[in-house]
Amino acid sequence: MRHLAPPCLLLALAACGGDFSNDDLEFLNALPQREDLSVTTPGERMGGGTGQRLVRQGKVGSPSALMEKLGDASALVGNTDETGRDINESIGGILDSVESITRLTPTKREPNRRVWGPILGKNDMEFDTRFVMTREGERFEYQTQYRRVGGGENDWWSFLEGTFQADGGVRKGTGRLSIDWKRAREEEWLFSVDFLDGQEIRYQTQRLPTQVELEYFGPLPDIFPGRYMYREAEGDLAEMTFEMRGTDFVPGGLPENVALVTRWAPDGRGTALLEILSGDIVGAKYTECWDAQGRVTFISRSWDFLNPTEGVRASCPDMSALDR
Amino acid sequence: MSPPLLPSWRALAALLVLAASAAHADSLRRFALVAGNDEGGDETRPLRFAQDDARKMHGLLTRLGGVAPGDAKLLLNESSKDFLAALTSLEARAKEAQARGERTALLVYYSGHAKDGTLRLGNSRLGFEDLKQRLSNAPADIRIAILDSCRSGALTRTKGARRAPSFEIESGAARDARGLVILTSSSADEDSQESDALSGSYFSHHLASGLLGDADRSGDGRVTLFEAYSHAYARTVADTAASSGGAQHPTFSYDLAGNGDLVLTDLRAGGDGLVVPGLAPAGTYYFVDPAGLVVAELDKRPDVERRVALAPGTYRVKRRLSDRLRIGEVEVARGRQVVLEEARLRDAPFSDDPVKGAAPEGGAWWTVGLSGGVQSFLDAPTRDTLFLSVGMLGAEAQLHDYFRRDWVWGVDVAVGGKQAVLALPTLSGPAYRYSVTSLGTTLTSEWPQGRVTPFVGARMAYQVMRRDFADEAYPDQKFAMFSPGVVAGLRWQLLRSLHLTGRGRLHYLLYTVDEQRSLGFWELSALVTYQP
Repeated sequence: MRHLAPPCLLLALAACGGDFSNDDLEFLNALPQREDLSVTTPGERMGGGTGQRLVRQGKVGSPSALMEKLGDASALVGNTDETGRDINESIGGILDSVESITRLTPTKREPNRRVWGPILGKNDMEFDTRFVMTREGERFEYQTQYRRVGGGENDWWSFLEGTFQADGGVRKGTGRLSIDWKRAREEEWLFSVDFLDGQEIRYQTQRLPTQVELEYFGPLPDIFPGRYMYREAEGDLAEMTFEMRGTDFVPGGLPENVALVTRWAPDGRGTALLEILSGDIVGAKYTECWDAQGRVTFISRSWDFLNPTEGVRASCPDMSALDR
Repeated sequence: MSPPLLPSWRALAALLVLAASAAHADSLRRFALVAGNDEGGDETRPLRFAQDDARKMHGLLTRLGGVAPGDAKLLLNESSKDFLAALTSLEARAKEAQARGERTALLVYYSGHAKDGTLRLGNSRLGFEDLKQRLSNAPADIRIAILDSCRSGALTRTKGARRAPSFEIESGAARDARGLVILTSSSADEDSQESDALSGSYFSHHLASGLLGDADRSGDGRVTLFEAYSHAYARTVADTAASSGGAQHPTFSYDLAGNGDLVLTDLRAGGDGLVVPGLAPAGTYYFVDPAGLVVAELDKRPDVERRVALAPGTYRVKRRLSDRLRIGEVEVARGRQVVLEEARLRDAPFSDDPVKGAAPEGGAWWTVGLSGGVQSFLDAPTRDTLFLSVGMLGAEAQLHDYFRRDWVWGVDVAVGGKQAVLALPTLSGPAYRYSVTSLGTTLTSEWPQGRVTPFVGARMAYQVMRRDFADEAYPDQKFAMFSPGVVAGLRWQLLRSLHLTGRGRLHYLLYTVDEQRSLGFWELSALVTYQP
């Protein structure tokens, strides 16, 4: 009986404790979820909504003002779809790394601080990993940090940094998340991504229209489009703003860099406003509307004095909620 | 003088003598020290019913024995020091009464352990000889010691007391008795035995039953000291003859000047009681309280009216025949004499014996039950955002009188839960289900008071709290911890096998996740238990 007491006591102690924590929930709430930052695309709306989407034949990445005709499938819808998928893929990769850690229970709980890890590097791994979150009032900061195996507390460096200003609701607030690719190369944690120095996601989810912005920083800004923005307004209206580089949008000797704003409604109808940033006719604007099946219903070319518009402007959906 | 009136004058004279005697008896100021102690210190096993015996005797003396409540002291599990202090206090008051010209009687009753010539009051001791010396010198006209303890007969064997040769002691003499009387429950070399079936010692039970009326052999509605003793002697010897401890022989000694008897109880004093009419069938009647304990017995002879001074309450009556029982129920109202009507008794098989102690060996008994209640934390932020207030449903099993008389050991399980919406400073809105599971074990001590039994005790619970979120972005959370607490409440016997309990619990919980915080929660619940 005397020998049974210690194991019984240990068993009882092992059965105590848990993860029932309000603070844990508030910390987790400060981290963006995939659905908060993911982009819906006009193609998804059409496919899941009003009917079969028309698919434009040809290379989606090279729209031409001359190719767009009333009744044809819009090439800009395809460009928006593809860009949206790229954004989701990029954000998803970042969030994967965060989620893989925060799915676990915090290793250390301190007032206004949580630490997951360190997850020690073993075998051929050269780096230890940890995820740290701090809180001050309604503002949260977090970092994914690495250090070389055997390093000390001062050797941690941040690969991913984020902030979130909470607004009380379910992941409602303003946040920022950045990746330091340059530091990763300097620390020899990464070798392959040499065309990027950094990447930043900024978002706000506390009021409509919500907004997610993705920006890349690198040594070659001219050939790599740097900024994407996605917004959602009342009535599930969506907008994407992005640039396309090196297109031959209008005839002439120069390739065009264009800024594109596409907007679409839940039923699949949408509009696109394209502005030529560089190339043959800098400053020229192209507007297009499409119906629920993605067919072009209206075209406006600012440089075409003879035939500036085609189709019926009234066929364009009302997107004014995105202007607020 | 008219000859025809002579018988009337004689009757009147007799009445006057009786009235004078009664008045004289009433002028006797009575003091009582009643002590019961279950503990006897080293080398003794705790008794189960010594305190109960003392409670019963105290109640009986103050209700029927002419002892004013202010002149009686009840000591439960107190030390010899307290015993002597209480005796000193009563002696002082008796002395004052004597100084005022009152006749006085001092009765000392003790139920508990005795060993090696001493009373054992817990870890303290009081020598037989010291007690006897003290009583011999006590400033009261009559001193009566009733000792219900092992080998207490040694007290009557010592110098200064004459052993009573028999119990046919004449009473009703002209002179008032003065001196010392000692009653003991067993002889100098015998143990005094307790009975689970009686929930008391054999001697005290039969003494109490006799004082309630069974010992009133003269049928005058009064039970004298000698009647009570002779009754207790006969019944104790008879009941213990076949016991494993062997026959137990109470003793009686006296050192009296004068030869008057002393009335110990007046069966009409309370005005309430039960009359068994002369026409009622002969036999032994048992009167059983709601807890299933035999309060009194009555040996009824043919064509003789008997009286039992039962306290107001409801009793089950049992008369045993050779092939069956006759049982029924009577309600004794306050201030009223109730007549037992044979027509209200019915035949019943032996299996329906209302006496609780008749069934389980060793006196232990089980109950199982269902409970419903509320759990809530004391700290408002905690109960609003962490561990919510919830309704609980549960099941319990209790083991009564196993470890010790009136101790109850129980195990319980309860679950509760509710839907809620999270409301934290930086996060509000997620819906979740909060649930609590509680496993507990409780040890309580009860103080039966008829149908109602108050209790207090300690409980150790294993609490498991969970919250499960509808939104998968938030992990389901759990916390488990042992939680000590206290419990108090009242158990009410609705029917013979059905009890209703109302209770409150107060628990301590150490929360260790975000930080170490001491929390408290309470539970209020009702419990319905069934005794199989």
